[in-house]
Amino acid sequence: MSPIDPRLQEALDGERDPGDLPVDLREAYARLNAATQILKATPPVSVASRVMAEIRQNPAPVQGEGPGRRLIQWLGRPRAVTVRLRPVWTLALAAGLAAVLVLQWRRGGPAPGVAQGIANFVGQFPGAQSVEVVGSFNDWSRGMLHLNDDDGDGIWHAKAVLPAGQHEYMFVVDGERWVPDPLAGRYVDDGFGAGQQNSVLIVRPVSAQP
Amino acid sequence: MSWKLVLALALVARPAPLIGQNGNGVGATRLAGRVPAAALPAIDSILAAAAAESLPTEPLVQKALEGGAKNIPADRLVNGVRRGLLQLRQARAIVSHAVPGQSPPEGHVAAVAAALARGLTGPIVERLITVAPNEPPGPVLHAAADLVAHHFDPDSAADLLVEAHNKGLRGVRLLDVAVAADHELQRPGGRTPSEALAHVRAMLPNVRPGRP
Repeated sequence: MSPIDPRLQEALDGERDPGDLPVDLREAYARLNAATQILKATPPVSVASRVMAEIRQNPAPVQGEGPGRRLIQWLGRPRAVTVRLRPVWTLALAAGLAAVLVLQWRRGGPAPGVAQGIANFVGQFPGAQSVEVVGSFNDWSRGMLHLNDDDGDGIWHAKAVLPAGQHEYMFVVDGERWVPDPLAGRYVDDGFGAGQQNSVLIVRPVSAQP
Repeated sequence: MSWKLVLALALVARPAPLIGQNGNGVGATRLAGRVPAAALPAIDSILAAAAAESLPTEPLVQKALEGGAKNIPADRLVNGVRRGLLQLRQARAIVSHAVPGQSPPEGHVAAVAAALARGLTGPIVERLITVAPNEPPGPVLHAAADLVAHHFDPDSAADLLVEAHNKGLRGVRLLDVAVAADHELQRPGGRTPSEALAHVRAMLPNVRPGRP
């Protein structure tokens, strides 16, 4: 900002006769004086004055009033809530709730879920690129349950929630090599005449697991 | 793989229920594209025979799916499924003999067939079922098969399991009896199988709960 000439300042403050000013300062004085008159004519309702008026209308909470008290005051203050519902939707909502209640009553409460347990699969396959578990629990489908070897130590593992009971399964290493789980402890001939054995897993229901 | 994903996979992967129990169409719906086309008619007729005899078809469907996944040639695959049918028939005969006058539950027949596949003999299976005819026989049969697989005498193993049942152990807790016997057998000091069984019998019903 360029400093104002002191003589012009004095003239604006009424301390000097503007007629004594040089011609250029006299023109500047005239412009500034005209601007002052315009500002004086503007109504006093500025942004600042509106904000201040609002603050005066809603004073800030008294210092020391805790948030709990303010919450209680907020909750206790009456507020108008307008809910507009079409009668057809109201009736549909009521019918839906009634249907749910009737179904629950007929079933005698929520139906218990299928007994399930947690199965841990672990296998040591150093150098393998992929290991998956395929068995009766996933209809012998490929690509459903992959083991992971995140730290690359050759020990692959996976956890799965399975229905409780007996399952037969095998590991498929690198997408083509079928091998029984060496840690399964239970095996059964797969019945296809080549002497290959499936691993047998007995999943205990979660309620029966120690 | 996240826990939620594994859970979702496990739930999605549960075997779908059979559309019908008459065998016709079962192969077409669940086996189409999963087993060699050349094997489908024979498998479908095996499934139809099982359904006609009120035998469970799900173990046979699983065997066919397994053979398809393993790329077993069609003739061997059909033989494997047929062998499963024979085991189911044998299992139903055992269950019917052990629990006369009752229609054998499908679960019993499938569990007995699985036990036969694991090497248990008919008489041992029949004896174990007779002890608790109304309980699911899977756990006690697997416990017996576990003991036999670890070279315990089959009759002595059955004796131990019957006693465990009489002392209140049920269901998967019977598997813990087999685990305890195996632990006793492997304990340093060299117990014989009969000593291991005697030791476990003495501690019944307080065998340590184990994991599968």
